[in-house]
Amino acid sequence: MSMDTIRNSVAGDSSVLSWETWNRIKHTERFVFLSSVLFVLLFSYAFGRAPVISDVFKGYHGLAMTILIWSIFALGFNLLLGQTGLLSFGHAMFFGTASYAAALFAIHVYNEPLLVVLVGTLAAVALGVVAALILLRLHTVYFSIVALAIAQFLYFLAREPLVEITKGINGLDVKRVPLLGIVELDHEYSGLVGALLVNNLYIFIGVFFVAVVALITRIRKSPYGLIFKAIRENETRTAFVGLDVWRYKFAAFILSAAIVGLAGGLMAVNTQFAGVERLYWSVSGDIVVMTVLGGLGSLAGPVIGTFVFFYFKGIVNGFPTLGNYWLLLLALSFTAVVWVYPDGIWGMLTDFTAALRDPKGLVAKAKRRLASLVPTGGDR
Amino acid sequence: MSIDGIVGFLFIALSVASLYLLVAVGLSIVFGSLKYVNMAHGVLYLAGAYIGLLIASSEQYGGLLGEAGQVGLGWGFVPALILTPVVIFVLGIVMERFVAKPFYERDLLDQLLVTFGILIAAQELVAILFGRTGTIYPRPEWLTGAISLPAIGTPPGMSAASTIRVLVVALTLLLILAIFAFFKYTDYGLAVRAGTEDSEMAQMLGIRVGRPFLLIFAVGSAYAGLAGVLGGSLFNVTSGIGMEIIIPSLVIVIMGGVGSLRGTVVGALLAGLFFATATELVPSMTRASIYLLAIVVLTLRPNGIYPSTEIGQ
Repeated sequence: MSMDTIRNSVAGDSSVLSWETWNRIKHTERFVFLSSVLFVLLFSYAFGRAPVISDVFKGYHGLAMTILIWSIFALGFNLLLGQTGLLSFGHAMFFGTASYAAALFAIHVYNEPLLVVLVGTLAAVALGVVAALILLRLHTVYFSIVALAIAQFLYFLAREPLVEITKGINGLDVKRVPLLGIVELDHEYSGLVGALLVNNLYIFIGVFFVAVVALITRIRKSPYGLIFKAIRENETRTAFVGLDVWRYKFAAFILSAAIVGLAGGLMAVNTQFAGVERLYWSVSGDIVVMTVLGGLGSLAGPVIGTFVFFYFKGIVNGFPTLGNYWLLLLALSFTAVVWVYPDGIWGMLTDFTAALRDPKGLVAKAKRRLASLVPTGGDR
Repeated sequence: MSIDGIVGFLFIALSVASLYLLVAVGLSIVFGSLKYVNMAHGVLYLAGAYIGLLIASSEQYGGLLGEAGQVGLGWGFVPALILTPVVIFVLGIVMERFVAKPFYERDLLDQLLVTFGILIAAQELVAILFGRTGTIYPRPEWLTGAISLPAIGTPPGMSAASTIRVLVVALTLLLILAIFAFFKYTDYGLAVRAGTEDSEMAQMLGIRVGRPFLLIFAVGSAYAGLAGVLGGSLFNVTSGIGMEIIIPSLVIVIMGGVGSLRGTVVGALLAGLFFATATELVPSMTRASIYLLAIVVLTLRPNGIYPSTEIGQ
C-alpha cells in the first residue's frame, strides 16, 4: 500500500484524476456506501419516470421496490455462494419463513413495520441455526440438494399440514400501518423528493438496502470476511492454517440467512401478503439465476442480476411475441453465462473496461487469439 | 388391515418407488462413475412423457402447437412404451456428447448450475410449445382397474392392485435386474466399473472407457424416458414435471449414498414406503414425507445409507 502511494506521487503528480486514484477510491467502504445511497436515490426515478431512460426501460415504481428487496435477497445469497463457496439450492426457506413469521407476528401480536421486519429476520436466523446443524456436515452437491430438500419439506409442510396457521395457498394478508405509529408508508411526496423517491415505503426499503450493502462491504473488507474467501478457495488448507472452518461456515450461513430473512420480512410489508409460493423451489432457483447471471462474489453483480431478472419477468414479459419467451431467454442466457463466462455480467463489464484501459494489451490479446486459430500442430 | 388393503398399500409404495428409481438409477450411475451431477436428467423424463404422449395419442395442445390442430401419431400406449425409450436413448447420447462431456473436468457446482439452467430452459420450451395446462395419458381399457389375466382372471389377493401399478413395478424390477446383471456379467459393465475405480489406469490398460460411459449414460437416459411414459400415465403431464421428479430423485440418490446403486434402490424403496404410509395415516404429509425422510437419514448418516469413500470428498 505504501509503495503504491509513493509511486503515485512520483508518476501521477500531473493528474489528480489518474486511474490509480480511481482504483484506490473505488474499493473504499465510503465510496461503496455513497454509491449505494446514490443508487437508491436515482434508481426508481431513472427506471420509472426519467425522460428517455425510462422510455427505454418502461419500468415503474412498484417494480423498483421489488427489485430492491430481491437485491437484498441476492446479496445475502451471494454472501454464502460468492464469498464462502457454499451453493444452497434452498434459500427460499429463509425467504418464505421470514415472510410468514413477519405476517403472523403482524396479525397475531403487534403490527409495526420495523418490528415485523425484525421478527422475520430473527425467524430466519433461528431456522438458519437448525438448518446449519444439518447442512454443514455435508459437502458440495450434498449440501445443495439437502438444502433444497429442507426447503421443499417446509413448502409442503406450510401448504397442507399447517394450513390452519398459514392459510395454505391463499396466504396471509398483512394490514399496512404507519411506521412507529406516525409515518404513513403510503404517503406520497411532491417536488424533488416525490420525483426521486415517491413514497415512504421506498425510503423504508432503501434504507435497509443501503444498510445491507454497508454491512456486506464491512464483512468483505474485514479479516473475518477474508477467511470466508479462504474457505471458498480451499477448505482443507484453511483448516491446516489452524482455523475452525465449521465455525466460519456457520457464521456465513447465519449471516446469509439473516439478510435473506430481512428481505423476506420486507417483502411481507411491501406486498402486504405472505404466501406459500415464497417457499417453493422456484424461488431458490430464481435467486441462483439472478446471482450467478449478475456475477458471483461481487457487490454489484447480484444487484445487476436481480435487475436483469425482473426486467425480463416484469417488462419483457409484456412485450408482444417476445414476451412469451422471457423465461426461456433468461434460462438460456443463464446457462450460457455458467458455461462460458462464470464471472457473470459484472465480470464481463469489469473485464471490458479493464481491456479498454489497456489498448496495448487488447492488441496483444487479439494477436494471441489469431495465432491460436491457426493450428500449430505442436500443442501437446 | 385386510389383505386387499395391504396389497393396495404395497403397490402404491412400490409403484412410487419404481418411478423414482427409474429416474434415480441413471442419475446415480452417472454421478457415481462420471462424477457428473446432472439436473438435466429431468429433461429426459419430461421429454419421455411428451414424446410418449405424441406417440400414444393425438390431441389438441394449448401452446404454439395449438395452431397445428390435432398433433400426435395416436398409435396407442404400448408403442409409446416401446418407442419412447429408444428415442430418449438417442437423446441421451446427444446429451452426453454435447452437454455432459465438456463439463466432466469442471467443478461439481458448475455442473449443477449449468444443468439446472438447461432443465429450466427445456421446461419453458415445452410450456411454450404444448401450453401450460396439464394433459392426461389416454389409458387403454386393459390398463384400468384390477389386473386380470387370461384364463385365471384376477389372481387372488390382487384385486386392490391396479394394472398400471403392477405393470410399473414389474417393468422396473426387470430393468433394475438387467442393470445389475450388466454391471456384473458383461465386459462393458466391467469397463465401467474399472473406469469408476480409476479412469486413468483403465485407460492406460487400453480400455476405451469413453464408450462404456456413453452407453451407460444413454441407458440411464432411456430408463428416465420410460419413467416419463409410466409416470405420465400414473400422474398428469405438465411442463413442470421435469423439476418435480428430479428433486426427489436427486434426494434419493444422495440419501442412498452417491455411487452406490444398492443405496439408490434402498433409498427409493424407503421413499415409496414413506409415501404410502403417509398417504394412509397423515394424507396431508404425503408430499412432505420424502423430504422429511431424507433430512432424518442424512442427519444420522451424512454420507448416505451406503457411503462410498471416494465421492463428495
